Amino acid sequence: MSVFKDFVLPRSVDEARAALKQLGAEGMPVAGGTALSFLRHKEPKVAVDLSRAGLSGIAAENGGFEIGAMTSITALREFAAPGWVLDRVAHRFVTQQIRNQSTLGGNITRVFAWCDFPVALLALDASITIASDTPRAVDADEFFAGQPVRLLKAGELVRSIHVPAVRAGEGFGYRKHTRVEADFSQATAAARVKVEKGVITGARVALGASIPMPVRLPAVEQALVGRKGAIHVVNEAVALIGTRTWRSVAGFSQDYIRHLASVAVADAITDAWKAAVEGRA
Amino acid sequence: MNAKTIQLTINGEARSVDVGAGESLLHLLRRIGFTGVKNGCDEGACGACTVILNGRTVNACLTFAFQAAGGRVETIEFLGNFENPHPLQKALADEGAVQCGYCIPGMILSAKALLDRKAAPTDEEWSLHLDGNLCRCTGYEKIQSALRKLVAAQGGDQ
Ligand SMILES: Cc1cc2nc3c(=O)[nH]c(=O)nc-3n(C[C@H](O)[C@H](O)[C@H](O)COP(=O)(O)OP(=O)(O)OC[C@H]3O[C@@H](n4cnc5c(N)ncnc54)[C@H](O)[C@@H]3O)c2cc1C
Ligand code: FES
Ligand code: FES
Repeated sequence: MSVFKDFVLPRSVDEARAALKQLGAEGMPVAGGTALSFLRHKEPKVAVDLSRAGLSGIAAENGGFEIGAMTSITALREFAAPGWVLDRVAHRFVTQQIRNQSTLGGNITRVFAWCDFPVALLALDASITIASDTPRAVDADEFFAGQPVRLLKAGELVRSIHVPAVRAGEGFGYRKHTRVEADFSQATAAARVKVEKGVITGARVALGASIPMPVRLPAVEQALVGRKGAIHVVNEAVALIGTRTWRSVAGFSQDYIRHLASVAVADAITDAWKAAVEGRA
Repeated sequence: MNAKTIQLTINGEARSVDVGAGESLLHLLRRIGFTGVKNGCDEGACGACTVILNGRTVNACLTFAFQAAGGRVETIEFLGNFENPHPLQKALADEGAVQCGYCIPGMILSAKALLDRKAAPTDEEWSLHLDGNLCRCTGYEKIQSALRKLVAAQGGDQ
């Protein structure tokens, strides 16, 4: 475990923010705490535990869902509502214990290559609200354009995540490849596709885990839009993933990682397109 | 170690304990005598360290002790012992579902956390809720059949 030299247990967002502001570079928010063993610090930090800050819960709002940053992955899996699809991402997330401990905020604020939710949030066009003296919302494209913690000044926190509901005529597809069920992801792909009269009129496609940071695939998206949904259309689009810096994972050749990525993307798009056509979300 | 005192409930008993800022819940529990909590991998991969925190299973190795402040922790010691086993402990023993036993405290706590929420889980629910508990010995079949038999004996209907 990374070493903390002290901890504070604030009772509200304001208290947490005040503590972090005062601590500056010494302070570190702790959500589920599961990623701390992946992080190395030169100097021990002061943990600011967010679990009492009242940041967990899911509310249907503005044509979508407002999810508190401290909402656990288990809560995402157990939630159900029309247009809600994050339960599918949560279902394939590591193990029951880690689903109970990990939070959505923790999964997306410090992104590791294998993190699944950034990929889903990119495809779903989510926006992220930051608690600050000047509160602001950042869309997923900007949030994940680099390591998200870069956007947070001392005393700022991720407060909530807004995910638009998947509407009639739209579908969501999600695929994840791991060596064994609970392993770190080797390829994660998500797609949100809109279909009108058999023609794809909108597509957001994202890939992660097989590359160092999750990205959208604009060339793939463009190749889908305006075409009638069909397997060969999906395959032509997926060919445009192109050459990437594939992540090296022990036991996997780079060529195999590339293959897994293209299979995951093709399957996610196909699932999304079929769901849209069949009216399943 | 910079120790600080926290209050928490362990196995129904209110406790006040000194914890190090970087100390894991696994380390704390074993240090104060709850050695039924096992250290398998110390990195979230095996589930041997599973405990129930506020009604949900967690890997104690990935939990900082301070995260349990004000919380309720249940370990295997809460459930039963050799003379007085909990129905889950008895079911696994009767079925021959225990070999070296290292995974069993965590396995039983994961099963209990599910049974506390749902009297008669489906096979799919068992798999999902036990997916973080590795067993190197049994091959899982006997564990699954022990759990199914227990639910059936308690009148649960899948
Ligand atoms: C064995 C193992 C395998 C895993 N495999 C996968 C996988 O395949 N896919 C996957 O998606 N995940 C996987 N994970 C989980 C992932 O790596 C992270 O551990 C987890 O998502 C972090 O969530 P947390 O709530 O525990 O965050 P924490 O560990 O508490 O925090 C993570 C970081 O985010 C910061 N932070 C957290 N919340 C906020 C906030 N609200 N505002 C500002 N900053 C914040 C913290 O300061 C810290 O830097 C795995 C974890 C383990 C242990
Ligand atoms: S010791 Fe905690 S998961 Fe293995
Ligand atoms: S009985 Fe030996 S690890 Fe499960």
